[in-house]
Order: sequence, then structure tokens, then C-alpha cells
Amino acid sequence: MENNKIEKSGTNRRNFLKLGFISTVTVATGASLFSNLINEEESALSGEKIRLLTPEGKIVEVDATNINKYPEAHITSAESRKGIPNRKFVMVIDLAKCKNARNCVESCQKGHQLDYNEEFLKIQLMQDNKEADPYWFPKPCFHCDSPPCVTVCPTGATFKRDDNIVLVDAERCIGCKFCVTSCPYSARIFNWGHKDKFKNTAIPYSPETGIPGTEGTIMKCDFCPDLLRQGELPHCAKACPMGVIYFGDINEDIVTNGEETVRFSKLIKERSGYRYLEHLGTRPNVYYLPAVNRQFPLERGFDVDEDIIERYKNVDYVKELKKQGKI
Amino acid sequence: MDFNQRKRELVKEFSPMLEKSSLVSKLWYFVLIAIISVGIYAFYLQFINGHKVTGMRDNVVWGIYIINFIFFVGISYSGAFITGVLHFFNGSWKYSIARIIKIITVLSLIVGPIFILLCIGRLDRLHYLFIYPRIQSPITWDIIAIMTDLIGCFIYLYLTFIPDFAILRDTTDLKVPNWQKNVYRVLAIGYQDTTSQRKRLHKITEIMSVMIIAMAVVAYTVLAWIFSLTLQPGWNSTIFAPYFIIAGLYSGVGVIIITMYLIRTSFKLEKYIRKIHFIGAGIVLLIISLLFGYFTFSEYFSKWFSHKTNDVELLETLFSHYFWEFIFANYIGVLVPIIILFFKKLRTIKSVTFAAVIAVLGLWLNRYLIVIPTLETPYIPIQDTRPEFIFYTASWIEYALSFAGIAAFILMFKLIMKFVPIIPISGIIDQERFEEKRIKNLGEQNK
Amino acid sequence: MKKVLFKYPLITSFIIAFLLSNVCIAQENDVSNYRMGFNLTTVKQPDNSRLLEVSFIATNKKDRKDKIPISNAEIKFFNILNEEEVLLGAVNTSNEGIAQLTLPENQNYLIDDDGTINLTALFEGSNAIDEETAEISIKDLHIELNLTEIDSVKTVSVSAFTINKLGEKIPAEEIEISFYIQAMLSKMKIEEGTINDGSYEFTFPSDIPGDINGNLLVYAMVVDHDEYWNVTQNKNIKWGIFHSHSIKEKNSLWSAIAPLWMYSVLTIMLVGVWANYVYTIINLVKIKKEGDELKLKI
Repeated sequence: MENNKIEKSGTNRRNFLKLGFISTVTVATGASLFSNLINEEESALSGEKIRLLTPEGKIVEVDATNINKYPEAHITSAESRKGIPNRKFVMVIDLAKCKNARNCVESCQKGHQLDYNEEFLKIQLMQDNKEADPYWFPKPCFHCDSPPCVTVCPTGATFKRDDNIVLVDAERCIGCKFCVTSCPYSARIFNWGHKDKFKNTAIPYSPETGIPGTEGTIMKCDFCPDLLRQGELPHCAKACPMGVIYFGDINEDIVTNGEETVRFSKLIKERSGYRYLEHLGTRPNVYYLPAVNRQFPLERGFDVDEDIIERYKNVDYVKELKKQGKI
Repeated sequence: MDFNQRKRELVKEFSPMLEKSSLVSKLWYFVLIAIISVGIYAFYLQFINGHKVTGMRDNVVWGIYIINFIFFVGISYSGAFITGVLHFFNGSWKYSIARIIKIITVLSLIVGPIFILLCIGRLDRLHYLFIYPRIQSPITWDIIAIMTDLIGCFIYLYLTFIPDFAILRDTTDLKVPNWQKNVYRVLAIGYQDTTSQRKRLHKITEIMSVMIIAMAVVAYTVLAWIFSLTLQPGWNSTIFAPYFIIAGLYSGVGVIIITMYLIRTSFKLEKYIRKIHFIGAGIVLLIISLLFGYFTFSEYFSKWFSHKTNDVELLETLFSHYFWEFIFANYIGVLVPIIILFFKKLRTIKSVTFAAVIAVLGLWLNRYLIVIPTLETPYIPIQDTRPEFIFYTASWIEYALSFAGIAAFILMFKLIMKFVPIIPISGIIDQERFEEKRIKNLGEQNK
Repeated sequence: MKKVLFKYPLITSFIIAFLLSNVCIAQENDVSNYRMGFNLTTVKQPDNSRLLEVSFIATNKKDRKDKIPISNAEIKFFNILNEEEVLLGAVNTSNEGIAQLTLPENQNYLIDDDGTINLTALFEGSNAIDEETAEISIKDLHIELNLTEIDSVKTVSVSAFTINKLGEKIPAEEIEISFYIQAMLSKMKIEEGTINDGSYEFTFPSDIPGDINGNLLVYAMVVDHDEYWNVTQNKNIKWGIFHSHSIKEKNSLWSAIAPLWMYSVLTIMLVGVWANYVYTIINLVKIKKEGDELKLKI
């Protein structure tokens, strides 16, 4: 046995991935081979605690490795204004595959330490006209190229980065809420009161993570730039069991949902991708693929808790279903 | 005529207002301070617990605070506009109300912005507006406009106070505390009513009044733009700026009439604030209510006629959830003042005041209906959210602070009236001097 | 210390048993609900080093979604030929239940006559968890990736072969191979096919942007092959046509600096108004001066 020959690759998987991304991939091969495994682990990791089994057969709960990679990968407020160089992030949401499984919502809430009732990403039940079939419509922040929220911000607390991401710096925000009223997509939420979780300063605040939150300021979907810097998909895209959410870089012209990696331009051309409320001129960076050739019947989306169904009670279609006693 | 003698007479006439407070007046102070105290307590709760104590939530992020803000600032701008215009009229009648309007202008411009501050989540970071300014933001424009306007209005108010301060300074037998006399002395800045001083003061007052009119228009336009420059279906309207100016004038004239009535009855100033003032103000209110009705109609009519999806949704909300509010704001609030003021026989002091009350209340509701239902009907229907986040109802904290704002306005008004005569003595003197000169001139011509 | 403990396994296990006696009974139930998953796989990496990876994850027998990684378990890797056994190394599993061992290109393996290498991973077991082993047999496949421009046609070609005992290259047959290019977040498949007679060739798509310099990282990968397991090869080439989608938007409504006309209009308005205020105040000072002079005269 030659001990000195043994190369122990004791670095954890995340470092492995990060290194791979930063040095433009030399060893990432191993990582992608086990992508299925990663997906399962990540969902457990994005929470604050993970469960482990010790060799002695004891199940223990330990703190998850911090996602922000603090301190070596901490992004300060000033750095977070620049964005990741030469990237133009884009999201494509395939409406044909969505069945309101809500994994995206939950994983986003976990990843951003949001409460049960706070959503960066909402699932709307849309019906374009009376004849058309309704469909589930995940709605994150659209990270517009002409963002009305950024225009109206009096302090520059919300800003447009070169990599397409619109971020909020909660340390700069004065809470005037003008951005909320100017966003036509209702993408922003406000911290109405103090919460104990805001006190958690184990990891210093960065606009890229939005953690910890601050009372009296704005929050919204941020495309998870902390994960992107590590070469990982945003929480929602990673968590979706149906592969509804594709994410990638327009400069590279490649988007992925974790399982499938495709050319962005081809996807949009072939599937008639569109942007919601294009006529408003906000130039969103979230594209939708029309809900044609559905993979799941719409009703599958009602396979959720009662209080979630209640959230759709004002939708005409749901009212009709209720009348018929179907839900 | 000996004007110094006349000055003393007038001071004597008005001095009771400055020298003592009646029992009723003291009761007023007590009630107002009580209301303000409740407001301060409400503010304390809001400051400690955050905005969750209000009725505002993620969809309706602006509540009655912003409505009070538009309302008060609107009164102020219309006051500025009217004082500016009044300056170019002649006649003794204008002096009876000019000072009332100027005080309304300044006070509502102090109270209004307090409400926008209540709307802000992080008051401790207010200075960021100056450290990290972005001039693309209409809020930045608004802050600049309000501050500039407030300073302008203060200067203007002060200019018109100087001669009165001088008169009060020179009246040695005034029974007011010594500190108050000292304040008069300092604020009068050595004004001796010499011809050159008088001329100089008149010149700068004249320029300032033009300035004030222009600023009122610009500033209220900017305020309207806070709404109309967004993409929201109910706000993104090209007529919003003129609509807001008319609306501001509508409420402004209404508040002026109500104030005139209250001052006239409580201080027995029937000699100065006469029926002619109410009739005149009533006619102005009539014209503005017609304009306001016209703007309101064309705003909602064009939405209804072109029936874009989101506009229709807004109208449906207005006519279902807000039916009575809509009827009161846009039918009763416009038509009742028009009917009362249109017929000559109906124009009495009391009925004009009643019309003004209806107009002011209707206008406040009109502002409510512009702000709240629009936020409740965004482009993307409100779904997948907590049920209590859909509709807005103001909490007691918000009402307490609203009433505290009104109380603060009245309290400050009363304090100013304790300090300077509400009818400008110098104005009356000026007018009499002017009359005398004219008679003299006529006499010389006749010779 | 560690060595001592290993020397006396009986004592060690006693110590462990003593330390854990209170909790073990309570936890034993829990562990018995889980089925252990112990898998070994290997990847031949582009630098010809070989990565051995064990994933050690327990799955709840009733709820298959409930998975717990076994952390900090020592995994030993062996190369076995007949009776001969060489310890390649020992690695503890991470919090994800993964143990990885990288063997350099010049590692000496025990190879049988067919050219097969037998690799084994072993978890020695504890009081609560049984011993686990996993064994794989691999053959060493060499892949050469060539990116050349033939008559201005960008051509990707691979040659795949094994080397026999005599050092002769034997072309590989019937191997499924896929080609990828590396993107920021994943790899995109651009071609797949079967290697025949030791080679495969295709024309590279002409419209792939690559990174800002047009650089592309092209991968050839054999995945989950019965004999060769995973083999990867990659190469960098400047074949991309980068097309930046960034439109330089200076002085817009949403940039940090506003359009210039906004500054000028605002400045003109403010200067106008404030000049008037200053003028007014100057006049007030003049009034005061006159008043003071009058006072002095009296």
C-alpha cells in the first residue's frame, strides 16, 4: 500500500462543482454522471438542517453546508451590482408540463428562508378565454430588460445587472413600495413586520441571497445568483419534478432544466415561446412555452392541501368545479 | 387720514384674538391634543411593530396614508394657486381671505408629507433619498418639488406677515407675553413701512406669487405622475395631471370655504368675511366641480367605452365591491355641489358651506377609489395568496393617524391665529391708502 | 490512535458499544427501517486519471422518497486479482454519502489476461450497519478526441481502443458514444452514435456561440458501458461564434445614470426657482438694512 499515492478527494460535492464552474470545468465529468443523485440530495440540502446516518447507525441532524459558501464566496452589495460577467440569464417555463406540484414554490421558500405564506414564485391558474382550457402558470419575477421597478426606485435599492438579473439591496431599500405598485406582474413582496429569522446573522447579508430579510423592505425572486455562481440551477428549476423550468444564458444560447439541455433559440422558435404581456414593453427575460399537448390533466393540480385550493377560489373555473362538486 | 391711528384701531379690534383664549377655544385645544396623542400612540405602535399593524398588504401596498397625502398636498397646491391668483386682483374683499388661504397652503403642505412618511417602511433610512438619489424616479421629483414648494410657500407667507409683525411690534399696549413681543420684533426685521421698503416688499411679493402659481402646477403634476407613469390599468392615464390639479382645486376651495365658515362663526368676523365671499367662492367651486365632473366622467367613460380587459375588471370592482363609495364620490360628491351652487336662490352661506363639505368628502373618497381598487385589480389576477391579502381595509391605526393629521392641521391653524391676526391689518391699510390716493387723484382731475 | 483502534477491533467495538449504548437501542429501530444502498462506479477522466465513487445512501423501506446519506463512513477501495488484494485507498463518505477516490494515470493495476481490472469497495460494518461491498470489473478504454477543420468543415472525430498486454492498440467496437459541449450549468448533447472499427466522426454544428472568446469545451463520453463503465474525454477549441446579447444601455430610465436631458431640465427649473428665493432674501436683507438705518437716525 502506497499511502502517498492516494489522492483523497475529500472535498465535498459542492466545492467540487464550484471549482468545476470557476476553472471552466476540468473535472466536472463525474458530477454530471451522478446528476440524478445530486437532485435528490439538493432538495434536502437547501433547508437549514439535513439528516444524516452515522456509521454507528445513529440518525443525526446537522446544519446544511451553507449554500452561500461564506466566507470565500460572499458577494458584497457593491459586487452584487455588477452581475456575473458575460452572462445574460433567461428562464423558459414550459406550461405544458406544469401540474401545480408546488415543489418550486416550496423549494424557493426554503432556499430564501421565506415563511409558508410568502412566495417569490406564485402558481396562477390562468384561462385565456372561456373556450380555452385553463392551465397552471408559474410566475416568478420576469427580470425585465426595461424594468419599471428599477425606473421608479428613488434610492437605487433595486437595480438591473449586466447579467439580466434585477436584484434588491435590502440594506438600501427605504420601503416606499413604489416598485410594488409599478410592477405590472405583482412580483414583489414586502416585509410587513419583524420576524425572528431576520436576526440570524450567521451569514452576512448579501443582495444575491437576500438572507437574512429586513423588516420594512422589499423582497422578490432573484434568479438565485448565489447558486448560479456555483454553476447550479435556481431552486425552483432544480426542484421541479416535471422539468417545467428551464434556465440558462442567452449569450451561450443554452438552457437546461436539470435533465435536458437544449438550445434556447431553437426551443423558443419550435415551441412558439412567448413573453407574458409583451405589449407592456417591459421586455421580460422569462419566456413561456404555450400549454399545448398537455402532459397532465389540469385537475392534477388540485391534488394539494385544502388551504392551497382556497387560494384559487376566485377563479371562474374553480367556482364552476366547486359548483359541480368536483373539488 | 392718519394711518398710524387707523393701525392702532385695527390692532385693538383684533387684539382679543391674540390676547386671550375663550373656554370653547381651550376645549378645542384639549380635544385636538387628545386626538393627536392617540395618533402619536398609533404611530408608536406602527414604528415598533412594523407596517403589519396597518391594513396594507402585498397587493394594496399603499393605503389611506397615501390618499391623505394626495389630499392634503392637493389642498396646499390649490391654496398656493389661489393666493397667487388673488394677488393680481384688487379690492378690499381679497384681504379677508388671503391670509386664511395662505395659512391653509403652508399647513397642509406640512401635514401632507407626514402621511407619505407613514407609508415608508424604513424611516431610519430616509436620508438615503439624498445619499443615493436617482433622478429617474418620480418620488425624487416629488420630494424635490415638495421641499422647494414648502420653502417657497413659507417665504411667501412670511412676506405677507412682515408688515403685520411690524404693526404688532409697534403696538406697545398689546397684552401678550414678552417673548411673543420679542418674536414680533425679530420677525419684523426692522420694517418701518417707509415708501421704499413698502415698494421693495411689494415687488418681491409679486414675483413670489407668480412663482407660487407655477410651482403649484408643476408640483401637483409630479404628484399625479407618481400614479400615471406606472403601467397600472387604473392609473396609466394621460389626463391624470390636469385631473389631479382640478381635483386639488376642488378640495382646496372646499376646505377654504369650510375654514371661512368656521372662522367667521367662531370669531364673529361677519364684518370681514361676508356673504359675498361665500357666493364668490361658491361660484368658483361650481366652475371647478363642473370641470372635475367632466374629468371624472371622461376618465371612466373612456375606460368603459374602450373596455380593455383590465379596465373592465377595474370598473367591475368599482361597481360591485365599491358601489356606494363610487356613487358617493363621483355622483353625489359632484352633482350635489353643482345643484346647490347652480341656482342663485340656493346660494346661502350655510348651503355653500354644505356643498363644500360634500365636495371635500366626495373628493377624498374619489382619491380612495383611484388608489385602492386599482391596486386590487392588477394585470395578473390576485391568486395563490392569502385571502386576507386581496382586499384592503384600513386599520384603526391608520384612521387614528389620519384624524391626528386633521387635528394637527386645525391645532396649528389655531396657534397661528393666536400669533397673528387672521385678517391682515397691513392689507386693510394698504387698501385704504390705495383708495385715498385714488380719490385724491380723482379730485385733482376734477379741478 | 486510529491505528491502535484498528489493531484491536474487539476493544474498539466495545468502546463504541459502550459510548452508544444509551442511544443505540432507541435508534436501532430507525435504522432497521432503512435499506442500505451501496453503489460503486468509476469514471475515466479526461486527464486519464480514474475516479472511483461510492454512494452510500439509506432508503426508507416504506417511504422511498425518504433517503438518508451515511456520513463519515470509512470506505476502502481494493484492486483484486485472484487471491491478490491491493488497498488502493480509504476515504470517508461526505455528508452527501459520497466517497470519491482519484487514481492517477500511472496507477499500477492488477490486470488479468483479458485486460480486466477488478475493483471493490468495502464498508467494514458497525454494530448497527452490516458490512457492505460492491464490486465492478472494468476494461481500460482509451479515447482520443480530435477536433479538426477539414476543408473549413469543423469535424469532430474520436478513436477508441484498448491496449493489450503486448502494447498493441486494439480498435474498440460497438460502443455507444455521446458528444456534449459544456454550458454554464450543464452539458448539451450535440451528437450520439456508435463507434465502429475504433472510430466515429461527425460535423460540428456551425452556430454554437461558446463563451465570450468563442471557446468551446467539447466532450466525448461513454456512459454506463458494461465493460468500460464511464469514459470521458474533452478538448477546448475556438469554434464558437459569440454573439453578445447585451445591448449597451447608457443613460436609460433604469440605469444608474439618467438621460442627460433630465438633469438639464431639473437643473434649469431648480436654478430658476432658487435664484428667485435668493433674490427675495437679498431684498429682505435690504429692507432690514434700511430699517436698521432708520432706527439709528431716531
